[in-house]
Amino acid sequence: MSLTLSAGGAMAWRGAARVVPPALGLAALLAAWAVLTEAGIIAPYLLPKPSAVLAEILTNNEPLWRHGQLTAMEALLGFAIGNIVGVVVAVLMGWFPAFKRCVLPLALVTRGMPMVAITPILVLMLDRGLVPIVTVVSIAVYFPTLITMVRGLESADVEYHELLHSLSASRLQRLLIVELPAALPFLFTALKIGASIAFIVAITGEWVGASAGLGYLIVISGEYFKLAMMWSAIIVASGLTLVTLGCVMLVEKLLGRWTARGEGMA
Amino acid sequence: MARLQDTSQRGGIDIRDLSMTYRRGREVTQALSACSLTIPEGGWASLIGASGCGKSTLLRILADIVQPSGGSATLGGMTPAEARATRSFALVSQQSVLLPWRRMLENVELGLEVARADRAERRRRAEEAIELVGLRGFERAYPHELSGGMRQRAAIARALTLRPRFLLMDEPFGALDELTRASLNFELLRILEETSATLLLVTHSIAEAIILSDVVAVMSPRPGRIVHKLEIGFGHHRTDAMRDDPAFAAHEAELRHALHGDPGVTRPAIREPAFA
Repeated sequence: MSLTLSAGGAMAWRGAARVVPPALGLAALLAAWAVLTEAGIIAPYLLPKPSAVLAEILTNNEPLWRHGQLTAMEALLGFAIGNIVGVVVAVLMGWFPAFKRCVLPLALVTRGMPMVAITPILVLMLDRGLVPIVTVVSIAVYFPTLITMVRGLESADVEYHELLHSLSASRLQRLLIVELPAALPFLFTALKIGASIAFIVAITGEWVGASAGLGYLIVISGEYFKLAMMWSAIIVASGLTLVTLGCVMLVEKLLGRWTARGEGMA
Repeated sequence: MARLQDTSQRGGIDIRDLSMTYRRGREVTQALSACSLTIPEGGWASLIGASGCGKSTLLRILADIVQPSGGSATLGGMTPAEARATRSFALVSQQSVLLPWRRMLENVELGLEVARADRAERRRRAEEAIELVGLRGFERAYPHELSGGMRQRAAIARALTLRPRFLLMDEPFGALDELTRASLNFELLRILEETSATLLLVTHSIAEAIILSDVVAVMSPRPGRIVHKLEIGFGHHRTDAMRDDPAFAAHEAELRHALHGDPGVTRPAIREPAFA
């Protein structure tokens, strides 16, 4: 390697440094999986061969597609509702401190409730299917957004508030000009947490509360010893989570060039 | 915007027996004690003193950020709250307080945006102010892409867009190096000559106070009170050459003695400026 790297070369090098190690890790994991199953060290009824899982995804993907669509819809709907509620409640809390003092402790209590245990209650109240799953996902997603946004809205330096005060700005102007933009990096942190929570909760919700979706497919395939299908469903579920996470990160990158640097510099 | 140039209410800054006491639990801190200062309309005054002497507190009272414990302060006959509501003053502080997610132009437009000026007017006045502070060509830069001096110019431009009758400046160049500071001092002079604003400047630089003032008020450390007032006889058309004037050095010496509580101040302190 030459000592003088061009800027482009350095950038490519850094890009490679970020991609190569995890790719190597994944390759090693797949290799170990292949060796252990092909050599018969782990029986196929415990862990199917990677080739069998790949074949299942390629040939028998109709159920994956159908159930995956449903799970994606539930997770994304819940993700959207939970985040909207979280942001709106956080803004209301910032606006009305008394409301915050009344509601925030209650919100902290809902945090302690196990989502898996809530699903059967929601199923009793709302019947099986889409509605209870979307509801439980919303509840699980809204909390981190609420807490992070409450902090984000308070994150702007007091100097900015004094500036707007000296300009005789209204409360709404302070919210729009200072508080919300300052909270944006916090919102994206919450969205990234929420993206993975949404799919995990949707799938576990489907175990108890639905007759369709990837969670249901995983349970049913397990019961019928269709292990290749079960593993395919798990892979599709992780793929969906990663795609959602990727979308959030892409929007963050497009939107917030100032979030990465320059923050706090006045 | 008509009310910003209202001519019916004239007058400068009038501070009478202003005092400020902070209480934290049982601890009582007297930040200001019986401060009086009159600045005629269009006049330039500086408050100078060691850090923590309450000079910023005085400015924050005028800007309606904190309420005094006693005494009164008026700007053009208005209370600080009224002056703020009519956007009669602009505040410039040591930190430029530019919003990091807005480009320089958008930051300069902020005051007019808050005042709900229409878009064209906003843009026109912002560009005018940017021209005045010499920041043309940097409109699209983010604050972190500007130097400290440029950020401070942008903050001054933002203050000027509202054409304030009163400019309240709290160590506006305190975070800058000596060279940048000196050049900005003279630029501010030029800007002040173009506007007819009344200036109250808080600083801890003796030279800056002399360059930018008709009258310099020296404050003692806690409890902050005005212990000395010095009239600067340079008129309003000042140039860099003023620093070579023997009078400049004399003023400097007098202020230095007053600041350090030197009992050997030879000239008697001017109790009230002639125009008060």
